[in-house]
Parts: sequence; structure tokens; C-alpha cells
Amino acid sequence: MTTLTIFIIGAILSVSILFLVRKGKMHGPYATWWLLVAVCAIIVSSFPQIVDWIAMRVGITYPPTLILVVAISLILIRMLTMDLALSRKEQKIRRLTQRLAILEAEIKESLRD
Amino acid sequence: MKTLIVIPAFNEADNLAQLLPELRKISDLDVLVVDDFSSDKTVEVVTGLGVSCLQLAIQLGAWGATQAGIRYAKRNGYNHVITMDADGQHLPQELATLVEKIADGPYNVVIGTCPQRLSRLKKLAWAYFKLLSRIKIEDLTSGFRIYDKRAINILSDKAASLLDYQDVGVLLLLLQADLKICEIPVKMELRHDGKSRVFSSWLVVFKYMLQTTTLCIANFGAKQSK
Repeated sequence: MTTLTIFIIGAILSVSILFLVRKGKMHGPYATWWLLVAVCAIIVSSFPQIVDWIAMRVGITYPPTLILVVAISLILIRMLTMDLALSRKEQKIRRLTQRLAILEAEIKESLRD
Repeated sequence: MKTLIVIPAFNEADNLAQLLPELRKISDLDVLVVDDFSSDKTVEVVTGLGVSCLQLAIQLGAWGATQAGIRYAKRNGYNHVITMDADGQHLPQELATLVEKIADGPYNVVIGTCPQRLSRLKKLAWAYFKLLSRIKIEDLTSGFRIYDKRAINILSDKAASLLDYQDVGVLLLLLQADLKICEIPVKMELRHDGKSRVFSSWLVVFKYMLQTTTLCIANFGAKQSK
């Protein structure tokens, strides 16, 4: 039952992502990331044995733990990269604002002359 | 030797109306006011007095505004930048002290400080940051400073654009680039009106302390000041 739920979530997610990209609402790299997540969900829900197999290989006795650990780690990494991207944006906005102010002043100056 | 005085201003129309004519009388250096998206008549007052003014289209905070002035100075080939507050606590008479000190060398940055102006609370905060950052400077937040060409180049760089205050972060950047910084005692006026931007409310102070602490810890092991 859970696998079916995950499969449906994965399917809806991939369709939504493709739809958003098609409508031009989502930027390339982000879309690829989310599509990858959706594909993983579909694969894992279709073949739950994969999780059991990997868990056994890395020595985890209760396989669902593996899913949770991997999922939370990926979410944390994603959040970190989001904050990095936000900082970069903030830096660009600040520098653009400064540059705009400088150029504006120069235009005014040259109009006065 | 071209020197530019940069004054970041946020809602300082009244103070600037007093300060700018005084500045004009005392010194013949170029003056640039950077308006940090004020809601009062700051821009009108400044341009009315015939002083150049940069208008930021988005509020960037004190350091963002100051950096805009520094970038303007770099673009226009100034050798030195003096930063001073608009609220009248930095006296135009003391400009000469800074200019002479940096002309004597060998310093790249000269900070005008007024030890008496520090409250006990501020002294405690500064002692803490000095310990944490290994910066041996008495007054970390004094905005009354003169920067030379090398400092201007470093501070107009992208790396300085994510700082929020003209204090520890700026000093760390300069020290990492091996610049020499010195302090010189100057007279300062108590604030005409308005309060310190940093020390205005407990929440702001808390946020500031937390942010600056993180910044200091992130810079452990970086160059020390002499």
C-alpha cells in the first residue's frame, strides 16, 4: 500500500515538473533535480526489494531507516544549496543596486553639463 | 591626491542640513551622500545644497550604502575615501587629523576613535569581539575612517558585498589582505538626535551579536592584526 502511495506521488511529481518546465515556470537545474527525485520515487516504489538489498549490504537491519536517513540527508543538502543560492542572489542584488545608483548619478551629471 | 567623503544616510535630512554647510566651510574635499532609500527629504536637502548624491533603489543598510560610495570612488579614480556618519557625531574639524595621519604612512586605513563615547555595554561587547576575532582595535564600529587606494580596491570587491555592518567583517577582510590599520583619537559629538543603528533595540543587538560571532568563528585562523 505504501509503495503504491509513493508510486503515485512520484508519478504526479514528474508530470507536474514536466508541466511546469513546459509552461516556463521552472528554471533548468531545479527541474532536473526534482525530476530525479520523482524518478527515484517511482523506481523505489516499483522495486522495493532494492531498498532491502542496499540496507542489507550496508548493514542496516531495518530497511525503512535507510529511506529516512537518505531522504533527510538529501533534504538538508538541498536546503543548504538553496541558502547558498539565496546568498548569491542577495550579493548580486546589492551590487546591481549600487551600480544602478552610480550610473543614475552619472547620467544626471552629464545631463546637467 | 583626490579624496572623497562618503556619508551614508537614512532619513537624515535635518542632520545633513546642518552637517553639509559646515563641511563646505571647513574642507574643500569632494562630498558624496549615499541615500539608503530614505522616506524623508534627504535627497532634496542634499541636492539642494549642491552636493552629489547617490540614490539606492533598494535599502541596503549602512554598509551597503557605504560600499556604493566606495565603488563610486574607485570608478572615479579617487585615492582616498573618508567615511563619516550623517548624524553629526563625527566632526568636520577632525577630518584633517585623519588625512594627515594617512599621509604620514605607512597605514592603509586610519580609524578615528573616541574611547569616551563607548558605554559600558559596548565596551563589554567590543572586548568580546576583540577576543574572538584577535583584532587589536579599540573601537570596532567607528564609522569615521579613511581608506587608501588598496583598501578601496578590496572593499569594492564582491567579497565585501555580503557584509552587513562596517565593523568586524570589514576589518577582517582588510587584515586578511595584509593592510595596516591604525587608530587615532578624535573628538566626537554626542548624537544630535536619533540613536545608534546597531544599539537601538535588544532584538537588534542580539541579532548583531549572533551574526558577528558567527563571522568571527568562521574567520578563526585568518591573519591577526599587529
